[in-house]
Amino acid sequence: MSGLRDIGVKVVEPPASDARSGNAEPLLHEIATLLDALLAGGRAGSIDLRSLPLTPADRDYLRERLGEGEVRAELHALGPSEVRETAYRGVWWVTHRNAAGELCAELIEVTPWPAILQAEREEIEDAVQRLRAQLGDGAAWKA
Amino acid sequence: MDLHGTVGEALKQQGISRRAFLKFCTALASMMALPPQAAAAMAQALAKARRPSVIWLPFQECTGCTESLTRSNSPTVENMIFNMISLDYHETLFAAAGDAAEAAREKAMKDNFGKYLLLVDGSVATGLDGAYSCIGGVSNVQMLEEAAKGAAAIVAIGTCAAFGGLPKASPNPTGAAPVAALVRDKPVINVSGCPPIPVVITGVLVHYLTFGSLPELDELGRPKAFYGETIHDRCYRRPFYDQGKFAKTFDDHGARNGWCLYELGCKGPVTYNACATLKWNGGTSFPIESGHGCLGCSEPDFWDKGGFYKALPTGNWGGGKTLAAAAAAGVAIGAAAAALARKRQADIAKEK
Repeated sequence: MSGLRDIGVKVVEPPASDARSGNAEPLLHEIATLLDALLAGGRAGSIDLRSLPLTPADRDYLRERLGEGEVRAELHALGPSEVRETAYRGVWWVTHRNAAGELCAELIEVTPWPAILQAEREEIEDAVQRLRAQLGDGAAWKA
Repeated sequence: MDLHGTVGEALKQQGISRRAFLKFCTALASMMALPPQAAAAMAQALAKARRPSVIWLPFQECTGCTESLTRSNSPTVENMIFNMISLDYHETLFAAAGDAAEAAREKAMKDNFGKYLLLVDGSVATGLDGAYSCIGGVSNVQMLEEAAKGAAAIVAIGTCAAFGGLPKASPNPTGAAPVAALVRDKPVINVSGCPPIPVVITGVLVHYLTFGSLPELDELGRPKAFYGETIHDRCYRRPFYDQGKFAKTFDDHGARNGWCLYELGCKGPVTYNACATLKWNGGTSFPIESGHGCLGCSEPDFWDKGGFYKALPTGNWGGGKTLAAAAAAGVAIGAAAAALARKRQADIAKEK
């Protein structure tokens, strides 16, 4: 009786996953331009890493060139997200995944502080309301 | 709960944080090939947008389109759309039945006249005065006509609603017709595919909610953001096509080594859809990755174009000679042939 292992299946890797396409280098120049714009006008910029074809090797190269910064933040909203500062201040590597862990967006953000980490005024107003309500409700604290 | 309040209010009530929403918008903007800066603008506009009333009419369909949207693997992204709209009628998802369901539809249509979004899946049976397909004694033709009157826009979901699909396959016993053939005075967006990729359905609705306008459409009424390129243009097996390496049978050396499936009937070169980039089942793969050619399910009359396993030039997809030349010559001509075949398809659609 033949089993699954007897069926002639060969797993084929997509071609050239270990080769660089040449798309990574221009990105570094674009990041420099975005940093200039940030300094000049305070305007934040970002690059969607999925909008252009990058091989795994390109991605590794980009990570290596940009390096590691001092900040690394985790976000848990609709699945995990990671916000990493690179070795260049103002340049952030943001990865969004869904609840199943699949990549749903990957960006380079050029900004002093990524907007997704900030708490908005409206949310803070909401927070103070909730906290005050809880403080007023003495029973909840004694229990 | 105010059913037609703003999207922002609805999300807050559902306990969805601003960050989660911003993340959702970022992911969508990325999939829709919008500049990343659009995500923040989108989140702002959407939060303030009023949740539109949506009426979803099922005609001659198999419910596969609804399944595609509701059973998507990453519910947190695609299904979020259900928090952003007020789905006032959907037979499959409705708790109500019979007269109560039909009454809800009529009420929603009356209350939101001129403002609701009409989603249709399935083709419309026009034969025998529409008697082939009726809901509560009302024919599809009649129901579509009534519902279209007060609709701000109509989205034809799936190839049946967009182009007639399987029910329209020869000899088309029920006189099946696409939505756009019957509704002439309203904008119709065709989201084709059998079924369409879930995030494409979501993307079209979000675009409408955000910008209050229809996305840019191709000549077959499909959003260019998702139907702008062929499967072949973005296929990971494209290099084999360019090298002239083709699988000849499903178990030969070529097939096992992942060579191009063109000669086994792949319709990738003439099929406009985003499967090769967005993929299926939560980004797992798309048919060609599983070793099967593209059927061309997002194109008009794909069912009647000469067999799924026959190479393109032998079917009715376009000029046989041109496509054969493309197979031999590779990249540049390949693209031109696809464009030619596409024009030919549009002509065929017009003739019919």
